[in-house]
Amino acid sequence: MAEQTYFDDVKEGQELPEFTIQPDKQQLVKFAAGSGDFNPLHFDEKFPMLKGMGIADNIVHGRFKYAQVGRIVFAFAGYKGRVKKFGVSYRGMDLINTPIKVKGVVTAKKQEGGENIVELDVWTEDADGKKTTPGTAVVALPSKG
Amino acid sequence: MAEVFEVTDEVKAQYGVEGPPWTYEATTTSIRMYARGIGSVDPIHYDVDFAKSQGFRSIVAPLGYIGTPTFHPDTNDGTFGFPRRAGGGARLNLPTKGLLDGGTETEYLDYICAGDMLVETSSLADVRVRGNMVFVTNEAVYKNQESGKVVAKQRLTSIHIG
Repeated sequence: MAEQTYFDDVKEGQELPEFTIQPDKQQLVKFAAGSGDFNPLHFDEKFPMLKGMGIADNIVHGRFKYAQVGRIVFAFAGYKGRVKKFGVSYRGMDLINTPIKVKGVVTAKKQEGGENIVELDVWTEDADGKKTTPGTAVVALPSKG
Repeated sequence: MAEVFEVTDEVKAQYGVEGPPWTYEATTTSIRMYARGIGSVDPIHYDVDFAKSQGFRSIVAPLGYIGTPTFHPDTNDGTFGFPRRAGGGARLNLPTKGLLDGGTETEYLDYICAGDMLVETSSLADVRVRGNMVFVTNEAVYKNQESGKVVAKQRLTSIHIG
């Protein structure tokens, strides 16, 4: 349960509280069950397509990383805020059992259509610092007043 | 070397052509299952009373989850669960050596909560070829079945490998 973010307190360049995940096979099987995506790429290390791609282990679902970016956006918006839009591109593969950082930064704040709008850059980052799932988000936040 | 897929005028003519609608369900069980799948511990995704105390109708779907398509073995893909719709919509003879996610963008007009039944319609928005990969973007619109209100719009890019 995240603390509520208020528009008044947000500054451009402000970093969102980051977190790190390191999904193991059980976590990806849970995600397969929750999402309905049972592509063996994500839980069967002998799946032939992996060998064809020159990869020795299972790949983390792109949608799993999208959801992690969603977690950081949702936590920033808080229960009184509203996430209006968020999207990512899947630019790099993350392998099972490797650390994935989930990060974000405020790029703009403005009032638009009677709403307090905050724009974010959000992404996942692998152990080498490469942004494997870069994206953006737009959030409406409450004011203190 | 021949392209693995050609974006012909016939392909472009299918842009924006809607397929038949499909029903998606967001239930307490499916939302909790998805929340477990992403490792969230936020009670807003698990505890109905807590979610109501925060002003929501029921537990809230984590971002990225817009319900589960109703499934029948005759009509849905066994691996991915997505519907194979009969009639209407785009029909592309895409390469089949592999399938990857390219990107996801969701516009939310409302949060999705347990108990919501959504009607989704989708259409082909774009097709691009790069080497042996075909990037296919579909646009989906989700309406609350009860109110008829659009609650989310999503652009999904899939990469078909030839």
